[in-house]
Parts: sequence; structure tokens; C-alpha cells
Amino acid sequence: MNLALLLFSGIVAALLLLLVWALRGPRKPAGIAADACSFEETGQRHVTYLPQIRQALAKADYEFLAKRAPGEVQQRVRRERKGVALAYLAAVRRDFQSLLRMARVIAVLSPEVAAVQEFERLRLTAKFAWQFETIRWKLLVGFAPIPQLAGLSDLVSGLSVRIEAAMNELGERAAAAAELASSLNRRGLDVV
Amino acid sequence: MTAGTGQLQQTLWAVDMAVGVFLLLSLAIRKSYRAFPAFSLYIVVNLVSGASAFFLYRAWGYSSPSSLRIAWGMQAVVMFARALAVTEVCKHALARYRGVWALAWRALLSCAGIILVYSSLAAKRQWEHLLPNADRGLELSISAALVTLLAFARYYEVKVNSTDRALATGFCLYSCFVALNNTILEHYLYKYVALWNVLRMLAFLASLLLWTRALRRPQAEAAPEETLLPAGVYQTIGPQINFRLRSLNEQLGQFWKTEATRN
Repeated sequence: MNLALLLFSGIVAALLLLLVWALRGPRKPAGIAADACSFEETGQRHVTYLPQIRQALAKADYEFLAKRAPGEVQQRVRRERKGVALAYLAAVRRDFQSLLRMARVIAVLSPEVAAVQEFERLRLTAKFAWQFETIRWKLLVGFAPIPQLAGLSDLVSGLSVRIEAAMNELGERAAAAAELASSLNRRGLDVV
Repeated sequence: MTAGTGQLQQTLWAVDMAVGVFLLLSLAIRKSYRAFPAFSLYIVVNLVSGASAFFLYRAWGYSSPSSLRIAWGMQAVVMFARALAVTEVCKHALARYRGVWALAWRALLSCAGIILVYSSLAAKRQWEHLLPNADRGLELSISAALVTLLAFARYYEVKVNSTDRALATGFCLYSCFVALNNTILEHYLYKYVALWNVLRMLAFLASLLLWTRALRRPQAEAAPEETLLPAGVYQTIGPQINFRLRSLNEQLGQFWKTEATRN
């Protein structure tokens, strides 16, 4: 079999695989209203339980158990801590994805989109996915320092709150503009 | 070419023509040509080209240089019509999202261009392979553009309607198949030519059936316009999101470094 045949078969195979992936379609259709609801929950969902998660992951608790509890109990606690950490990491990823989705919805509904920003976001998403998987695997094999996960949550939650505030502000501005237009109409004035 | 293959080729040609005519009638009766004028033109061009090829080969035979030249000339016209139809599908799918479309069409053209250049560079430098090589390059660019379109739609979670998806899938599968078929033709040239024609017609028949199914209902002329956000929203929030995502990645990076030193 010659090289050209291999090369072009490879390109066609890659295109077909991409086609299958792309045809699976978006998980949910883009919609600002649907996303605004989930966005309100974003960040608050796991932040609400942050003190409990911190408590569950506290090093002191683990050291205390190491001294007093039998090996079997220690193992069970380690397993459960790992489960909590993984669930927490998954929650962080869900928040990250919610923010990304919000960014995409804004991009889709914007009359102008900056290519640099979009490619930057794509690059950051790929980087996040890679790092997330690395940490997840490290957690699974029992290497990652669990308490550091809390920092990630703070960051994502902070962003959620700020963007939510920005969206609220935009909503208020739109409502004010609509109110102004309707009051002008009631008085028989031309807005233009 | 054996008599059996010749017979099969003629039968397939007749089936392709019949399905093509049926599709064209369906487009006309349901007035779907208003929604897809370029696609309808492509079907017409294809039918005319198919009929001309039949009479051409009947008059001068398959191996005559004149019929070969005219056949490839017609192929170029068909290819141009297909490019127009593919552009139309892309516009149907994404053009109502003005910002993303402005980004997407540049990406589609770039992908198609890169694939075309790559195919030309990778192809054999022989006169007898020139036309199949050019054909393959163009087919691959069409596939790349369509795959990029669907990937864009998936990434931005834009809902592409089922007709546009079916048209895009039909074009993409056919183009992929023709590209692969041309590559095999290049390798086994004369032994393969009859089978090449049969397989190409079969692939086209599959696409025709897919399109006919997709266009069985009348199509709306234009998709409703999306209500867009004010321009300032993207400029305000976009950079903030990117900044935070970058910070989040840096934090994850730190996490990784801490781990590396600990281990």
C-alpha cells in the first residue's frame, strides 16, 4: 500500500470521526433564558456546602483518626474522603462548564465576536480539561493534596457572582430603556 | 470493462437519474427551491451533466479523449454548483448568528484552503493524475468545510435544523467517499476504473436518498432572525470570563507544580 493511499485514507477517517462527533449535536439548544436560570445556581451550589467539605477534608481530622482508629476505619475514611474530593472536583468542572456555556451563549447572541477571545477560550478549555483529568487521576491513585481544591471553588464562584451582577445590571438597563420608550410612546413622542 | 460491469453502470446511472428527477420534482412541488436555490441548481446541473455524459459515451465511447475532456469539464461545472450548494447549507445553519457566522466562514474557508493545498502537495505530479487529484482536493475541502461547520454548531450549542444537517451529511459523506475512491483509482488506475464509476454512483445514490428524505416536507424560506444582545455585552463580559478562566487554569497549574515537587 503506498503512502498517498495511507495519507488520504487517514484524512478521510479523521473527517468521518469528526463528522460523527459533530453530528451528535449540542446537549441543549442555546437559550439565554435557560442559561440565566442555571447560571444563578452556578457557584452557589457547592459553595453552600463548602464549610462541610472543608471539614470533611481537614488534615487534623485525618491525623486524629490515624492515631486512634483501626486500619480498616482509616481505609474507609480515606476512600470516603477521596469520593468527596472527586465529587467536589466534578462540581468545580460543572461550574467551569456553566461559565463556558454562558460565554458561548453570549457569543452566539452577539452581533460581533472577537476571534482572539474565542480562540483564547478554546485554548483555556483544552488546558483546563487536560489539567482537570491529570488531577482527577492523581486523586484516584491517591496522590493529590485534597485541601487545595477549595481555592478553585473560590475562583469560579467569584466569577459567577460578578457575571451574574453584570447580567442583572444589563437586565435593569434594558428594562429602564423599555420603560422610557413606553412612557415616551404613551405621551405620543417619537423615540427616534 | 466487462459486460456485467457495463450493465451495472447503466442501471445505476438510470436509478441515479430517476432519484435525481424525483428529488427535483419534490423540490418544485413543495416550493423548497425557494429555501434552497443553490441546492436545486446543483441537482439540475447534476441531471444535465449525467444525461450529457450518457449521450457522450454512447456517441464516442468511454476511452475517447474528446469524451474524457468534456466529461471532466462537466465535472468542473458540477463541482462549482456543489460548492455553491454547500455554501448555502453553511449560511442556512449559522448565518442568523451574525457574530459567530463572521468567525465561522473564515474558519471554514481556512480549513478548506489548508486541505486543498495539502492535497495538492501530497498528490502525484503526473499529468494523467492531475484531474483526479484536483477533484480529490476539492472534495476533501468540501468535507473539511462541512465538518468544521457542524463542529462550530456543536461547540456553540447552536441547533442546526434536521434538513440542513441531512444536506451537510450527504455532501460530506459523498465527498469523503469520492476522495477515497480517487486515491484508490490513482493507485490501481486502469484495473479499477469501472468499479470506481460504480462505487461513485452508489455513493451519490445514497446521498440522493438522504436528501430526498430530508426534503420530504416543505421548507421555510428563511429561518427566523435571532434577537441579538447589544454589542457592548460581549465586549464587557467576554474578557472578564477569559481572565477568570485563565486564572483558574493558572491555579490548576500551581496545583500540578505543588504535586510535582511533593512527589
